[in-house]
Amino acid sequence: MKRVFAVSLIIVSIFFRPTFTRAGEQTDSTNIPVESRMALNYLCTTDSIILTATLSIRKGDFTLGLENAPVELTASNGTTINQLGKAKTDQEGNAVFKVPAAGLPSDKDGLVSYLAKFTGTDKYPEAEASFIAKPAKIKLSFNIEDSMRIMKVTAIQKNEKGEEIPIAKETVHIYVPRLFSLLKIGEISLEEDGTGTLEFPKEIVGDTLGNLVVIAKIEEHDQFGFIEGRNTINWGVPKQYYKAEVPSRELWTPIAPLWMIITLLVMLAGVWAHYVYAVYELVMIKRLSKKDKPIL
Amino acid sequence: MELLRKDPLREFAPQLERTSIQGYLWIVFLLAVIGLGIYAFFSQVFYGHEVTGMRDNVVWGVYIVNFIFFMGISYAGALISGTLHLFKTAWRKPIIRMAEFITIIALLIGPCFILLCIGRLDKLHYLVIFGRIQSPITWDVIAISTDIFGCFIFLYLSVLRDLAKLRDYELLQLPNWRKKLYKLLALGYTGTPEQKQRLNRASDIMAAMVIAIAIIVYSVLAWIFSVTLQPGWHSTIFGPYFVIAAVYSGSAVLILCMWIFRRIYHLEEYITKKHFVAVGVIMLVLAAFFGYFTFSDYLTKWYGSEKNDEMLIQLLFKEFYWPFIISNYIGVLLPLIVVGIAKFRTITNITITAIVVIIALWLNRYIIVVPTLESPYLPIQDSRPEWLNYTATWVEWSLTAAGVAVFALLFTLASKFITIVPVSGLHGEEHNEEAIV
Repeated sequence: MKRVFAVSLIIVSIFFRPTFTRAGEQTDSTNIPVESRMALNYLCTTDSIILTATLSIRKGDFTLGLENAPVELTASNGTTINQLGKAKTDQEGNAVFKVPAAGLPSDKDGLVSYLAKFTGTDKYPEAEASFIAKPAKIKLSFNIEDSMRIMKVTAIQKNEKGEEIPIAKETVHIYVPRLFSLLKIGEISLEEDGTGTLEFPKEIVGDTLGNLVVIAKIEEHDQFGFIEGRNTINWGVPKQYYKAEVPSRELWTPIAPLWMIITLLVMLAGVWAHYVYAVYELVMIKRLSKKDKPIL
Repeated sequence: MELLRKDPLREFAPQLERTSIQGYLWIVFLLAVIGLGIYAFFSQVFYGHEVTGMRDNVVWGVYIVNFIFFMGISYAGALISGTLHLFKTAWRKPIIRMAEFITIIALLIGPCFILLCIGRLDKLHYLVIFGRIQSPITWDVIAISTDIFGCFIFLYLSVLRDLAKLRDYELLQLPNWRKKLYKLLALGYTGTPEQKQRLNRASDIMAAMVIAIAIIVYSVLAWIFSVTLQPGWHSTIFGPYFVIAAVYSGSAVLILCMWIFRRIYHLEEYITKKHFVAVGVIMLVLAAFFGYFTFSDYLTKWYGSEKNDEMLIQLLFKEFYWPFIISNYIGVLLPLIVVGIAKFRTITNITITAIVVIIALWLNRYIIVVPTLESPYLPIQDSRPEWLNYTATWVEWSLTAAGVAVFALLFTLASKFITIVPVSGLHGEEHNEEAIV
């Protein structure tokens, strides 16, 4: 058995060598270079542009969001640079900027170049990320036509003169928020005039009044990036909370049904009574050994 | 008649006293596999369930399949040993202890796989603190813990006579601590009429109890699935179907154990072809029942043509074609052919059939769990393609292998502690070679 123990110990020690040491906890961590990384997410809503700069540090295999780091955001058209603001990163390493869509410096194609920059510290090197997009917006409207519920989206961009012109031949994705994520309810292909329609589904559950938040999105577009428009309409099926009159089998009821409790108790009592009896017989066998003569 | 003249304990003494080089190598191999499992387990603890193939959609995978499989063979061991004991089947003696070992060992391993499924083991005690009787999971926890106690008592009652024999057998060359342990565990049993009467009474009662508990507990496990509104699970037949599948897989594991220990400990005199045929016939009957239940379950689903049931059946015949064919066709037909036709009925053929049945029944549990979770009633939102389908990772396979290795290791160690064939009454009043089927 000693041999078995020794061999198994060796095997276990081989398996448990350094693999489990996380990069951040390595003993010789000083030699591993630290790298700062930044990502810039862009979302253009109806009235503003939301830019989220995510700053993280990488050391070996270990990546972590950098907290409380100052990030500076600028917008430029190649010649003019506007400072949009400064913000500190949160626990996840995110610095969120909400800037008005109007008054941003754009080039002749209407493109705005955003730059998020972390100037670095003694411990962490500098990092920056950029995003180029053209401001645009999506509007949502709702109409009932021939007893059909029609949802209309209009996507607009601005030309070099600042005039609103339609976004044509693009696909708009339509969602409604659910408990954990967005539920996609359809897609709309935009016409030449930048509009498109969708027959709204009838069976989507809204709040108690039937209100639904509807979200229209153009996603990952080369020119516009991410555009989002929202509106609320009471076309949902009103949510009804069922309230049981008597306690039933749901997990959240204060007490289980009586039949269930009785069945369980009867079964457990029956089974355990037999166990106790069997153990009692074992105890009696033990006691008998003290007074009986062996005849095995 | 030759058997009656031998002292079985003298014959079995070497298996208790010594371990061969091959035996040590076998143990080292099993420990290495278990070591791999421990490594995989720590990977899972450190990096989370991301290292497994389980995701938001398919939340159960190989772990739950192993849980059902091990619990199944455990209940099968209880049912077989309990039934053979109660009916005083003459040929049961040489194999009944293996059935009892299967019961206990599988019962210890099975629930470990449930623990591997749980993401927050640190909050495991909440199951007791906040457990609700309405929850089938609570039923399962109560049922399994009750079953573990019952099976331990039954096993203890079954080995008590042998423990007394080992205590009193002076020629046995064992370390002192083992002799003391035999003495302690034998409870001073000397085989007086009153002790025998009490032991028989307790054994009979516990044999009946383990049969009843095994049926109830495995039904509870089946109800965890069948009370859930999922395509393929919500079926009234699931309770008896699971019980039949459990005994079926257990009979196959018993045949495999019989074959292995027959070869290792040279038990050819004790475990004969007649034993293989007898357990093979049990396997054949169970194969027929299992086939009938399977057909009945899928026929009603297919004929009902409910949208999701149809989708599920299509999935089974496309993506899960081979597992479905092996578990529900080959796994059913092979025992019927091999055991049913006399000229195929050899020890080797029956053992090979048993191995196929074990694989088939494991796959049967896999195609109950995974395809259903891959075809839910509600559409899956915002999900990456790789999350829709389940594929087990090396972590899951390593822990599965470790589970099998622990089973084999505990079986090996148990056979080193107490004889794999009961020595008490082997050639006595209960042993009757002529009565073998």
